[in-house]
Amino acid sequence: MGKERVLIANRGEIAIRIIQACRDLGLDYVVLYTKEDEFSLHVRIAQQEESGFKKAYRVANYKDPNEIFSVADESECTAIHPGYGFFSENYGFARRAAMRTRPLTFIGPKWDVIRDLGSKINTKRLAKDLKVPVIPGSDGSIYNELEAEGVAEDLFFLQKEQGIHHPSILVKASAGGGGMGIEEVSHLDAFRRTYRRIQNYAKRQFGDEGVLIEQCLRDYQHLEVQLLCSSHGEVVHFGTRNCTIQSAGRQKRVEVAPGFDPAVCEYPFDARAVLDRIVKYSVRLAKHAGYDNIGTWEWIVSRDGSPYLMEVNTRIQVENEISACISRLNKSNEPPNLIRDQIRVALGDRLGFTQKDISFKGTSIEMRIVAEDTKRGFAPWCGTITRFDYPDEPWARLYSHVPRDTPYKIPTEYDPNFALAIIWGRDTEQAKERARQFRNRTIIEGKGAKDESIITNLEYLNDRIDDVLQF
Amino acid sequence: MDINLNDLLRRYRSHPFEDYPVVTPHTGVVFLKVKEGQTVKGPGGEWLHRPGTLLYVIERERNVKRMTALWSGQVSGIRLDIEGQFVEAGELLFSIRHQLDKEEIIDRILTQVLYILPAPQRARYFLAPEISAKLEQKPKEGVSVESGDDVLIMSLMKRDTVISYEGVPGALYKVCFKSGDTVEQGSPLLGICSPDKLRYVQKVIQRIRTEWEK
Amino acid sequence: MRTDQVHMADSGKLLSQLADRISYLIDIKGNSEYGNIGDLLRQIQGLRQSLFEIKEADLFEEIDRIEDRVSFLEDRVSEKLSPAEIVNIVRSPQRFTLMDVLENVYDSYTELGGEGDCNIDPAIIVARATISRRVKNKLYSHQVMVIGHEKGRGEEYRNGGCARPWGNDKALRYMMVAETEGIPIHFYIFTPGSYPIEDYPGAAQQIARNLYVMAKLKVPMVSFISEGGSGGAEAIGVSGLRLMSSRGYYSVISPEGAAAIEGKIREGEKVPRELVEYCAAQLKITAENNLKLGTVDRIIEEPLLGAKRDDFPFFRRLRYEMLRATDEVVLKTKNFRAFRAYALKRREEEGKEIPEDFDLFISWNLTDLEIERLLEFRLKKYMELGKGYFLEDRNVLTEGIRKTKIFASKTYYDLRYGLLRPHHRNVQKVIEEVSSEGSVFLRKVTEPVRAAYDFVFPQPERPGKVVHSEGPDERKSIFAEEWESYVSPLANEDCTVTCPNAAKYGCLDLWVPDLYGEFCGVCPNCGHHFPLEYQWYLENLFDKNSVHEFNDHIASCNPLGFQGYNARLKKDIKHTGRNSSMITFDAEVWGLRLVVAMLFSNFRGGTVGVAEGEKFVRACDVAGTTRRPLLAYIHSTGGIRIHEGTLGVVQMPKCTLAVREYNDNGGLYIVVYDNNSYAGPVASFLGCSLYQFGMRSSRIGFAGPRVIRETTGQDVPPDYHSAKNALKRGHIQGIWDRREFKKNLHDALTTLGGPNLYYK
Repeated sequence: MGKERVLIANRGEIAIRIIQACRDLGLDYVVLYTKEDEFSLHVRIAQQEESGFKKAYRVANYKDPNEIFSVADESECTAIHPGYGFFSENYGFARRAAMRTRPLTFIGPKWDVIRDLGSKINTKRLAKDLKVPVIPGSDGSIYNELEAEGVAEDLFFLQKEQGIHHPSILVKASAGGGGMGIEEVSHLDAFRRTYRRIQNYAKRQFGDEGVLIEQCLRDYQHLEVQLLCSSHGEVVHFGTRNCTIQSAGRQKRVEVAPGFDPAVCEYPFDARAVLDRIVKYSVRLAKHAGYDNIGTWEWIVSRDGSPYLMEVNTRIQVENEISACISRLNKSNEPPNLIRDQIRVALGDRLGFTQKDISFKGTSIEMRIVAEDTKRGFAPWCGTITRFDYPDEPWARLYSHVPRDTPYKIPTEYDPNFALAIIWGRDTEQAKERARQFRNRTIIEGKGAKDESIITNLEYLNDRIDDVLQF
Repeated sequence: MDINLNDLLRRYRSHPFEDYPVVTPHTGVVFLKVKEGQTVKGPGGEWLHRPGTLLYVIERERNVKRMTALWSGQVSGIRLDIEGQFVEAGELLFSIRHQLDKEEIIDRILTQVLYILPAPQRARYFLAPEISAKLEQKPKEGVSVESGDDVLIMSLMKRDTVISYEGVPGALYKVCFKSGDTVEQGSPLLGICSPDKLRYVQKVIQRIRTEWEK
Repeated sequence: MRTDQVHMADSGKLLSQLADRISYLIDIKGNSEYGNIGDLLRQIQGLRQSLFEIKEADLFEEIDRIEDRVSFLEDRVSEKLSPAEIVNIVRSPQRFTLMDVLENVYDSYTELGGEGDCNIDPAIIVARATISRRVKNKLYSHQVMVIGHEKGRGEEYRNGGCARPWGNDKALRYMMVAETEGIPIHFYIFTPGSYPIEDYPGAAQQIARNLYVMAKLKVPMVSFISEGGSGGAEAIGVSGLRLMSSRGYYSVISPEGAAAIEGKIREGEKVPRELVEYCAAQLKITAENNLKLGTVDRIIEEPLLGAKRDDFPFFRRLRYEMLRATDEVVLKTKNFRAFRAYALKRREEEGKEIPEDFDLFISWNLTDLEIERLLEFRLKKYMELGKGYFLEDRNVLTEGIRKTKIFASKTYYDLRYGLLRPHHRNVQKVIEEVSSEGSVFLRKVTEPVRAAYDFVFPQPERPGKVVHSEGPDERKSIFAEEWESYVSPLANEDCTVTCPNAAKYGCLDLWVPDLYGEFCGVCPNCGHHFPLEYQWYLENLFDKNSVHEFNDHIASCNPLGFQGYNARLKKDIKHTGRNSSMITFDAEVWGLRLVVAMLFSNFRGGTVGVAEGEKFVRACDVAGTTRRPLLAYIHSTGGIRIHEGTLGVVQMPKCTLAVREYNDNGGLYIVVYDNNSYAGPVASFLGCSLYQFGMRSSRIGFAGPRVIRETTGQDVPPDYHSAKNALKRGHIQGIWDRREFKKNLHDALTTLGGPNLYYK
């Protein structure tokens, strides 16, 4: 069999990280770009690399699967890396890759695993079967108004029993995701109207009027467990992360690994035990579902220390590297590279290590640098970046598709994220200190359409660093 | 305020053409169906439901798509090197030199007479649903707008922002973009005609109608 | 000098009469070459111009010569009239029209709802008229409602007798007036077809409404056909007796239309005359043909070359025949013996001169009981139409079993839901009333009663409940069963297709295995429905293994002996494995049992012929006896099958009458249109449904765009027949998404319908 060639069906910094991983593994790669992304670094890197074949293809749209498969065939790729977002959790895309006449390896879990765990209802049902705690609420999609009201009534009653002052519930479109089609109800009387609204929305938007009803948790921390599995039945974890610091639109801005640090913060519960529990539950569910690639189990931990499984992200995540940064593979005493490992296992490799070979060291913080106005509802800013400088330190890494040598116009079609900074410290205090230091030495200049100066979230990041890991 | 209509007309008369580039909508293998200099027809029929001349076919994922002319005119600058080749999205195949007719000239000159709402940002724009519904139902009657009316939706960085109209009240005379298109900053979006200018605008139209024939 | 002038005037009149006779011959022959009639006409023109230059004697000699020649030619032509020539007779501007009938057949008349061009639709005339008879030198008159088409004498506003939807609506309103006043209706059909426009309420919808009302109209009705152009004729055609003039034609489609289809003639191209003549003959459109097929009951003799405006003997005959026919329809309801005696007497008169006198006066008023019988006879008469013109397994044994089965099931269902259920309801009511007293004492008394009652009527028998718990359950299991369920064979190709709305809504190309698999053939972006084969619905719309087909042995045949039709039937039977385009079956939707009639496109384009009509009628019967709802799912229908001629056309009233009977007995009849549904079926037993729904992306209408362009000379917008527009016009009551078909259907079944359904 010839050399594998990976089509990178994504843009921005993740495309660059995948390019690097492919190079490290000695694999060929091809990138895609749209007209708007013509000057993105991921395109330049691919175009400048010497090789005997064309490495960058212009397509109409990153979201058109036909473009991706068309280029994959033309460029003789054998595998597709979807990155995050776009097609990363689209089981239909993965299924098509696997079932077409010229099959391609989808770098991610098998399509049916994505399908089963991509459905909140199904995940919830599976979790219940395995005695993994989930947020109190309906077991499955509800289509019947009377049934829905029954569930809502129970949830309000339950919260009152627990002495919650302002009980409320969430009504969600079953088929929805990413914060779409969710509404909060704080009085039972108002339930029916909201239910009908969400039902109509779901029907219009997703063609399925099924609705989920859950207790609305307010005071909680958002935790994640990073898993890596292979098709040979191997399952390992790389600890936990805490992603509680989010923007108005529930977009993560600062993430930290590990999930809790009892050494510097006080928690009203046994933090170490909670982390152990969510890791244990995540591994249990992954084994049961036959999980076979990289994945993240998202958890909510309430103030009383009860964990609830929220959902499973069947893809590589933006913040994967902070988990890698605090992990050490005992053979080399080096941190792993999860993107590399993801590609390896998707191509059929064994992990090459077990849980026993993984140890943890220090704290890692990720800051997402975004051109946005944090004081005005995190409104994205657009314009041209004229200067982008940041310190070069052994304990820090920065990923960005923004070139440092030429001005860069931020395309208006995509997310305004333009850089990720990843910091490591031997403990939480040092990591926070270094993060602040890194942030202070980062310089971003730019001009908007009306010649106004660039607006970034650097200030906001500074303010929030102190909040990490605090309940 | 006043424009030099004579100048404009003279300019259009000396060059009554618009070159429309024909670019591939997506990747695929292209087979050309026209020749250099060939005259092609745009869509026809009362509802423009009859497709124009077949220009080329593009095959992607075993779907052979017939691409027809959106404008009438002459084919020029045809790129024979791409025949039967795989091309990327947005590849220029040739241009169609379209001869402007009277109504199109009027349309272009109007842009200089009307009050124009320019695009505040390079972004995707959509007509506000109420406006587009009104236009769809009564395309000939026009829609009146005044300051504060929500006229457009700007889609920028995956966020939708409603744009309110600021300017002279009047009739929405012209929509300069296709809903969902990306419009460059400063390009015209809407052309509005205030009631006091209405007669002037009609006069301009009338004049072009009579002058253009000569 | 004076006498000369008179002679001149006479000869002028004679000449113009001759000219009329010649042009009539030209009309019939369709050309002026036959027997050099063109020359004759030119000679007459010449004589007219030189009227004053020729000597009188010479002139009359010349006139006599020409007349001899014309008479000779007339005799020759009338000896052997081809069907195409009969069509030409009917179309000739010299033929009598309804106005002539009103003037000459009736004693007096008052036109209702319009006069001349001041009319909602001048193509339809309605009049209150008096028709009288002499009995023993005494004059008796009857009041009737005359409704018919007026082709006019060249006036454009008459639209050639093509009724617009509102014209048929006018006809319907006055039918109801006749019903209110209890007077018979005389229908006169002089139409090449309905005007094929969809403006409210739509050509098809209006015809269907008319048929539905006429099915149970409580007055005697007699119809007379001179020009019976398919659906347009049926709009005012349901009657106890159907008369046809001997030189009329009654056809499923104009010979030209048939020729364009048969010859696959492209739009705008000329249809060869030979082909038109061939089709006219194949379609079996003459009075004799129709009488033989049973689609009309009696022929009224016209002069050999057809009746013109001034054929007074013909009008006398027509008056006699209309009186006689109305008498018969009335008498039949009164007393069968009297009817026999009357009918026998009239038969004796057949072939003889029309009697001047009737020997008795018959009142046309009906009692309630007689009205009931009138409707019964009407239903029976229509159910018989087309009998013997489809193939059926005539095995005595199986036939016997079938009949026994029907009888047994009828008894069973009558007992179970007819007799026992009202009792059941009463018992329940008593218990509820007693219990609501709320006293402990009373409760103790009712408790044992309730227990016994529950034993007799065990609870799970109530499907209403089963439905509710099963519905959502089934949806839950989609997860596990998704890949086990039926997937369209269309999905087995690794390629993509473009959504037709891509330019408008920016839909991405769809991967075919996704589209025809998981997406159910629906574009996830814009909701466009790609057509799916009918088997998909059989598998996905109904509960697993619940579909049980019946009457599948009923097969289409070739009653007209239409050339080439046998081979085409054979091919479709082989290709589809079915005997007609109508599939009828029992099925369940989340436990709710129903009867389904389905037209599918692979068999002769889903057209309706005798076999299809018969199967539909029988499905109505089954639904009626088993008290189940009836669903007509129209995968596609191209109209009435032209190869079965008027036998196909009469399936329109036949099926409508069956459906009306079913509905009136408290059933629930739902029609769901998919893909393309056009013409006859939509203008009758489908369009008459009280609940009609369209699948998204379906097209529903009377005539396709080409026919509209060719008959009206106007183009229609591309979305003219879209479900959305059908909804706007009030033709359908809703648009259904394929992915929600089952749920919508279930909702409709549980919420709509009459009181006689088994689960109500």
